[in-house]
Amino acid sequence: MDDRLRETLSAMMDDEADELAVRRLLSFSDQDEVRGQWQRWQQIHDLMHGTGAAADLVSPAADVSAGVWQRLDGGVPASEHNAAKAAGRQRWHWPAVAMIAMALVVGFGAGSGWQSAGELELVTAQTTAEPNATATAASVSEVSLQGLDDRQRQQIHRYLLEHAQHNSVGAGRGSVGYARLVSVDTGGY
Amino acid sequence: MMHSILKRAVTQATEPASAGKPSMTSSIDQTAPDQGDSQTDLQLVRKVRNGDRAAFDLLVLKYQSRVASIISRYVFDSHEVMDLTQETFVKAFRAIDRFRGDSAFYTWLYRIAVNTAKNYLEARSRRPQSSADSADAENYDDGQRLRDIASPEKLLQRDQLQRALNKAIDALPEELRSAFLLREYDGLSYEDIARILECPIGTVRSRIFRARDAVDRHLGPLLNHSASN
Repeated sequence: MDDRLRETLSAMMDDEADELAVRRLLSFSDQDEVRGQWQRWQQIHDLMHGTGAAADLVSPAADVSAGVWQRLDGGVPASEHNAAKAAGRQRWHWPAVAMIAMALVVGFGAGSGWQSAGELELVTAQTTAEPNATATAASVSEVSLQGLDDRQRQQIHRYLLEHAQHNSVGAGRGSVGYARLVSVDTGGY
Repeated sequence: MMHSILKRAVTQATEPASAGKPSMTSSIDQTAPDQGDSQTDLQLVRKVRNGDRAAFDLLVLKYQSRVASIISRYVFDSHEVMDLTQETFVKAFRAIDRFRGDSAFYTWLYRIAVNTAKNYLEARSRRPQSSADSADAENYDDGQRLRDIASPEKLLQRDQLQRALNKAIDALPEELRSAFLLREYDGLSYEDIARILECPIGTVRSRIFRARDAVDRHLGPLLNHSASN
């Protein structure tokens, strides 16, 4: 976990983190690290506010959580559950990407009427002359996104989260990623 | 009201380091900054509803000590406290869809904790050993009760931790300490702290993080030791 993410976690302690930041933290691959850091800062907070003595009663902090999951579903702690979930996602990663790529190609093809190679050259020549060409292509792509199922949407959502995270690392250049994320969110996340 | 808070905060922030040193003997839980309606909690609850267990883990870690405090007003055996604390979170998880957000998440959780403890005592045909209920739960000074039932080893460990915490806070550079204490003890928002310290909000956020990190590094081995016992 880099310092930027830890700073976000610190802001979350103070109720000063936005929803995107919370999502970014919860989608971070090593949740044990997030938990460990959060737990230590909470202990410090408890110590500073006089509730630290209560921590003595709940012994190792992790045991409360482990005990909770054990009662709920026979002992699958969150870290293992999330690891299994992540493995499941990984398994679907490439097929999903391929399906999205295919959907985009089909969408674009349908939008342009599946012209032949000769016609395509003509269209390409026309496109360079048309100022609205880019906007048309974008709207066709958007239409094709609407046909995706939930899993594919989640895949895109994850991609955009990572994209936003990479952008945010670039010190203040995260606005593009965020704007795209919001546009997908309204589509059904 | 806000003006007096800011004035007090400015005074505290501009006092010499020794004067601003927190007193570890007094319980200031009643003015804890995160006793209000937490947006972070609501965000985490939304994630839990979508099946994110890691989000619920963060809520457990955040509130387990406070839930244990509440329950220890009804039962005094540490194993029973631990058991009922877990039971409280199990009930909260199962009922999370019924949390409408009318009250703060912690208030809702505290009600569950109180009911869990009372039901437990009723089931064992014992009268509740305390008259505290969820309405006055947050104003209840549980420090003495908890000190009474803690083992001497735990008390010693707690004392060491608090002394180490004092030292760690004293060792912080002035600008980090001011921001950190204004947040932790006065419960001010980053925006208010930025206004008081006359610096950008991003700087406040960074200073508080660095202060927290420094204190954590200072206490690290002691905290790990505490958690493993």
